[in-house]
Amino acid sequence: MNGIQVDINHLKKGEVSLGTSIMAVTFKDGVILGADSRTTMGSYIANRVTDKLTRVHDKIWCCRSGSAADTQAVADIVQYHLEVYTSQYGIPSTRTAASVFQSLCYENKDFLSAGIIVAGFDDKSEKGEVYSIPLGGSIHKQPYAIAGSGSAFIYGYCDKNYKPDMTKDETVEFMKHSLSQAIKWDGSSGGVIRLVVLTKSGVERLIFYPEDYENL
Amino acid sequence: MTSIGTGYDLSNSVFSPDGRNFQVEYAVKAVENGATSVGIKCDDGVVFAVEKIISSKLLVPKRNVKIQTIDRHIGCVYSGLIPDGRYLVNRGREEASNFKKLYTKPIPVSALADRISQYVQAYTLYNSVRPFGISAIIGGIDEDGSHLYMVEPSGTCWGYKGAATGKGRQAAKAELEKLFDRSTDGLSVKDAIKEAARVIYIAHEDNKEKDFELEISWCSATETNGLHKFVPENLLEEAIEYAKEQLEGYEEGDSDDEAASSDEEPATGDADGDVAME
Amino acid sequence: MNHDPFAWGRPDDATYGRYNEKIAYASNQPTTNTTQPIVTGTSVLAMKYKGGVVIAADNLASYGSLLRFNGIERLIKVGQNTVVGVSGDVSDMQHIERLLEEIETDNNYDNTYSESFEQLQPSYVFKYLSAVMYSRRSKMNPLWNAIIVAGVENGAPFMRYVNLLGVTYTSPTLATGFGAHLANPLMRRVVDREEDVANTTREAAVETIKNCMKVLYYRDARSAKSYSLAVIDCETGVSLEHGIEVDNMVWGFAKDIKGYGTQKV
Repeated sequence: MNGIQVDINHLKKGEVSLGTSIMAVTFKDGVILGADSRTTMGSYIANRVTDKLTRVHDKIWCCRSGSAADTQAVADIVQYHLEVYTSQYGIPSTRTAASVFQSLCYENKDFLSAGIIVAGFDDKSEKGEVYSIPLGGSIHKQPYAIAGSGSAFIYGYCDKNYKPDMTKDETVEFMKHSLSQAIKWDGSSGGVIRLVVLTKSGVERLIFYPEDYENL
Repeated sequence: MTSIGTGYDLSNSVFSPDGRNFQVEYAVKAVENGATSVGIKCDDGVVFAVEKIISSKLLVPKRNVKIQTIDRHIGCVYSGLIPDGRYLVNRGREEASNFKKLYTKPIPVSALADRISQYVQAYTLYNSVRPFGISAIIGGIDEDGSHLYMVEPSGTCWGYKGAATGKGRQAAKAELEKLFDRSTDGLSVKDAIKEAARVIYIAHEDNKEKDFELEISWCSATETNGLHKFVPENLLEEAIEYAKEQLEGYEEGDSDDEAASSDEEPATGDADGDVAME
Repeated sequence: MNHDPFAWGRPDDATYGRYNEKIAYASNQPTTNTTQPIVTGTSVLAMKYKGGVVIAADNLASYGSLLRFNGIERLIKVGQNTVVGVSGDVSDMQHIERLLEEIETDNNYDNTYSESFEQLQPSYVFKYLSAVMYSRRSKMNPLWNAIIVAGVENGAPFMRYVNLLGVTYTSPTLATGFGAHLANPLMRRVVDREEDVANTTREAAVETIKNCMKVLYYRDARSAKSYSLAVIDCETGVSLEHGIEVDNMVWGFAKDIKGYGTQKV
């Protein structure tokens, strides 16, 4: 490295980023995570079928927004931590997973651009939980969370239409409508809508194509 | 001890030809000379009790505290070299604090006992250190209920319903076994306080010429809100009264039962202290 | 002689000290730490009265101009008679919360009297926090907050301010952020000097703070309707109420305001 000058900030600007619409919603039987599938470098769509919903434990998943490289690295480290945790102390709670995310995001806040939603289903209490970890590395437990650039356009819609303890079908409809609006108004969001449903019965993936959600 | 070390006892990290680590066995000896400690596990909590021999009349009564708190929900009492115990407790506190920092939840008792025992075990491996001269009884409450463990100088760590260590352990263990035989439909922490006091008083019988002070702490979901605390003054007084009362009965009734407190001991520590393994 | 070929021809360590490799590998950019708060909480207000302190902060965490998280708590109870109010970066506030929990745990170690006369006092909590704030600013890595520690100690009210620069001060009324401009003058109408504290009742202080929270809600664009209010009283200890709403707002006069000057319709 000696003699080679690297301007990290210049490199960072060109980085692949998840200018995103992501959300996670608790409901009667658990929790559902949702995301669009667009990844951009500036205004070029680097990947139009991205999977932004990432497993860190069997029933603890996260939605990633911000730098793709940063959030993948953080998710990988958390997955490692939870694997070790499981072998030593048993299945971690969603809170525990979220606080590992939080520690990493807080301690390295100057080097990361990562906005993460952690959502999980706890088999013991049979409850879904959602934690939002925005840019600075604070942590916020919420009944539902939205994040990413597209979320700015759906704060009003979600606030008006979210109800606690919805059924699975109601929740899927709510998320489809929300993400559809986010994608419609945010240039950095697009592609398909991916959902991951976490309940007692396990993990289920759903996918909705533009023709499914564009004209709801 | 039946054999002397013949050169193999000078260093940790060297086995004797018959596969023993003499330094660890000598550490067990230090424990066996220590004041008696007892731990009792109930459904809703744990109780710790320790005998404090009054080595000088100049000591301020009640101010020289022996039982320690590792985390808010975990207590610890030990017999043997007291400074070794204090050092180990400090290590335990670090472990508990680190766990909480990363996972934002209190460390489970089992995890703490495991980490402490691994630390103790490491002190049997290197010739630059000596093993810990203590047996530590560690217990508390976590999300899975109450737990009680005992860590020995070798690094052995077992879970117990009732644990005893120190000079009076044989008598104490015998009493604890009888106690658990009697209380088949569970034991409340409040009763366990009294019983712990009684066990310490009985264990002290062989050491009668020395005065002692009794210290009791508890950690209970119902009584202390899951926190490890010393028992209130009135409960302690009540327990001591009960113990003294029972002791009179014990001296008259069970005098032929003294085999339990015989001096003879197996040389290896492995039968030591385990009363009714969990 | 140093046999490492990379050391040949270089000044002798024994004479000149070890070479500082950081100089060779230094980046052409300066290192920066936290340069701005991201998720933030707005003003904290506090004032003394005869026999105690009132402190309040709203329940909002903003993300720029987005009022992102409602229902958070920015008043932290420490020990039996201290409340710490935090404004500024929320991730740093949560870090401070963890630090406070740690000192509370540490204070319970081997302290049989941790619940009576050897418990944490507001002045101890303040000393600790101001040391943390100053040491972080000296490392050029500040905790981006302004903090008010409020409580009662030795039968008298205690109140002191510290911020990200490590600056500390006290006064019978204290406020951070917007509150320093808008609420302080209002509170000083009730307690201007230390002598006025003795003539101020708990009720008067609570009323003043509530009024200030209303004014801040009118005028601070990053404030919320819902707030927490704590009273720390020498006799009754701490009472912390979460989710109080600003009330008795006056909006009716708006209907008479037409245009911006001479317009009449």
